[in-house]
Amino acid sequence: MVPLRFRPVPGLLLALTVVAELAAVPLSWGLEPAWDTLLLAVSSAVTTAAGALILSRHPRHVIGWLLIVQGLVAALAGDLAQGWGLRAATQGWPVGPPAEFVATGSWLPTAPLAVAVLLLFPTGNLLYRRWSLVLGLSVIGALMAEPGWVLNPEAGSEYVAGHNPYAVDWLPTDELFVGGFTIVAVSLLAGLLAVVIRFRTSSPVEQLQLKWFALASGALAVGLPLAGALWWVTPVVHVIPALVITIWPIAICVAILHYRLYDVDLVISRTFTYATLTVLLAAVYAGAVVVLGAVTGRESVWVTAGATLLAAAVFRLAHRRVQDVVDRRFRRQRHDALELVIGFVDDLRHDRAEPEQVVDSIRAAMRNPGLELRFVLLPDGPPVDERGRPVADADPDRERVPVRRGGMTLGEVVWSPGSDTDRALLPSVLDAASIAIEMARLRVELRQRLVEVDESRARIAAVADDERRRLERDLHDGAQQRLVSIGLALRHAQHELAGHPEAARRTLDGAVVEISAAIEELRALAHGLRPALLQAGLGPALRELASRSPVPVVVSATSDRFPPDVEAAAYFVACEGLTNAVKHARADQVRVDVAHRDSTLVVSVADDGVGGAGVGHGTGLTGLSDRVAARGGQFLIVSVRGRGTTLRAELPCVS
Amino acid sequence: MRVVIAEDQVLLREGLARLFVDGGHEVVATVGDGEALVEFVHRETPDLVVVDIRMPPTYTDEGVLAARTIKDRHPGVGVLVLSQHIETTHAVDLVGRAGFGYMLKDRVLEVEEFLATASRVAAGGSALDPTVVQTLVDVTSGSPLDRLTERERSVLALMGEGMTNTGIAQRLVLSERTVEAHVRQVLLKLDIPESGEGNRRVLAVLAHLRTVHTWS
Repeated sequence: MVPLRFRPVPGLLLALTVVAELAAVPLSWGLEPAWDTLLLAVSSAVTTAAGALILSRHPRHVIGWLLIVQGLVAALAGDLAQGWGLRAATQGWPVGPPAEFVATGSWLPTAPLAVAVLLLFPTGNLLYRRWSLVLGLSVIGALMAEPGWVLNPEAGSEYVAGHNPYAVDWLPTDELFVGGFTIVAVSLLAGLLAVVIRFRTSSPVEQLQLKWFALASGALAVGLPLAGALWWVTPVVHVIPALVITIWPIAICVAILHYRLYDVDLVISRTFTYATLTVLLAAVYAGAVVVLGAVTGRESVWVTAGATLLAAAVFRLAHRRVQDVVDRRFRRQRHDALELVIGFVDDLRHDRAEPEQVVDSIRAAMRNPGLELRFVLLPDGPPVDERGRPVADADPDRERVPVRRGGMTLGEVVWSPGSDTDRALLPSVLDAASIAIEMARLRVELRQRLVEVDESRARIAAVADDERRRLERDLHDGAQQRLVSIGLALRHAQHELAGHPEAARRTLDGAVVEISAAIEELRALAHGLRPALLQAGLGPALRELASRSPVPVVVSATSDRFPPDVEAAAYFVACEGLTNAVKHARADQVRVDVAHRDSTLVVSVADDGVGGAGVGHGTGLTGLSDRVAARGGQFLIVSVRGRGTTLRAELPCVS
Repeated sequence: MRVVIAEDQVLLREGLARLFVDGGHEVVATVGDGEALVEFVHRETPDLVVVDIRMPPTYTDEGVLAARTIKDRHPGVGVLVLSQHIETTHAVDLVGRAGFGYMLKDRVLEVEEFLATASRVAAGGSALDPTVVQTLVDVTSGSPLDRLTERERSVLALMGEGMTNTGIAQRLVLSERTVEAHVRQVLLKLDIPESGEGNRRVLAVLAHLRTVHTWS
């Protein structure tokens, strides 16, 4: 942050204010209540300092100058002149009454200044040119009311002497004051209205600034009438005007320079909650004291204790409700955001929305259209979007917030928050949406599984197609050709029978040999489809397979029988496993186990070879995995380098 | 007639050769692949070439390629392509040319008919396997073939196989004049221009059938 340094002119004026107040305090000391002297001195100094601070950061900001003028007028014309007037009256110093005259009239010029601040905050420019009419109106009002006040005989109470030495009777002072003051009051109200209008049309940043301003203006609006109403009831309220007047410039300064520093919504909400609670509890306490006092007939410790207990009970009950109501009113963004997400979850529950729309809901709640929601399907897996597609790495400039539920990471939000308020709000919104996020994540996962199943099915179909084509070709080129040539041989023999019966015999012998060959060919073809030995069961078929293997194979198989397609699948797992062990694993021994567990056929092929096999490393294993998956089974490969390979298929079977 | 046989399977090759010899023809050569066939025909110019569609090196359509080359260079040589199964695309593609035939291999067992077809092709006629023609003539609803009577459809099929009016008359046991009347009816109903006998008529018929079935 840039260190603060006052600019020359504002710094000089601030010094002037401080010097004036330092002079005013001893002058007034003891001649008026001490809090009046001190608090108003602080108030003036704070006001000028706030203006100077604003100008140090924004040299042309008109509100900075307005605050400086306001603080300066209060210090010089208000406090210093008043102090001089008071002290002059007791010490017999000169120009006492003129100083009192200046002090008397010093408060009215601050009204147009306040109106100007209302109209210009926070940008320093009028939102509409017409608003200058309001400013003009307040100046006219102040110019009318000023002589009506300072020249009015009624203003005598402001003088030590008890009467106004400047009072005149040739002016309708009462009428001027009342008329002018009314105009000033109207222009102040118009100024407040301008703040409301500006709030509705302004950007989120300006809205934040205006909220700070509204907080202080609200304190002013509540504090001043309250002090007026209770002025004669308790002297405690006398400090309120000075306090709220001091808060105002501070709030303006914070709003212009440091609006991001605190969560203004939270400050406003808490302020209102506790203000409301205080009033409520005071009323309950007072009511209880009156009622209990009337019932017991006397004031006692018991009455106080009872009233205190009651107030405490009411506090417990009322706190949440008041907080809710206030949140709804004043932490609008948070309330709206949560309401939107909760509404969405409700829609989801009633089937009016799809879980995938949760990201739109979060975007709307956060008012951040660029916000992205990414799902994590596997721990440490790559993030995917709502369609299950992998997404590119997040822009490093954007913030990433993990989304968790029940200790599990569901995904992350990638976004560029507009402010700290947004940043603070996101966890609550994600929390409210977490069930929808989890549903969306599960659906993404499910869809991805289905895609995998589809792909596997397509591969199976392709394999089956290839198989069919190969078979068709084998039949055409093999058996069919042979049968045609046998037919030709028979025709030839027919021809030969007429002249060379001996030759016909030889031709027929040849044809018979051909028929044997055709039968052998067909048998081999059929064997490729389904091993004949499987008819005797998996055990005999596997032992026959093992006997042809160049690597020693130990077979242990259940004698239970299973549906043919399950047995065939198990057989092919064993075949592929053996082929793999012989071809790639360089194994010394292989174990083939077939077991019947519950309603599952478990076949495993374990070798002691080099390991390192996996689905996708060789199409053979992928094909096998598909074949098993097609029967609703599970296929597993455990293959660690140097520790052998174990294939394991679990095939569901109802037998 | 002088016949050359191109077939990669020895047994079948020998069987085919014996068939032609038994039928009183001269087998001037037997070869095992398309290249050797083209080379031989270029040198000797036989009357007829009998060629298997699938031969080395790729076992796909070497026979058709060789047949096309031969027909391009020696239009006078009859070419009879034998196939294990029906591939309509190749068949209809080539059968429009004079002296070309396309038959399934099993037809060879009907010796007399096969030899007659072979002679017809060698003499410049056409021959298309009845199975192929049948798939073309099979009536799909709404097709123009609906307008033909049963008898006219069988005449159309035989025309598609490349038969002459005389052949059709013999096959259907009809008088030639009746066949002529049927042929006129068919051509009229299908709006096929009259184009005389032989392969031109086959061509016209097949062209029409091809538009009926919308394959290319």
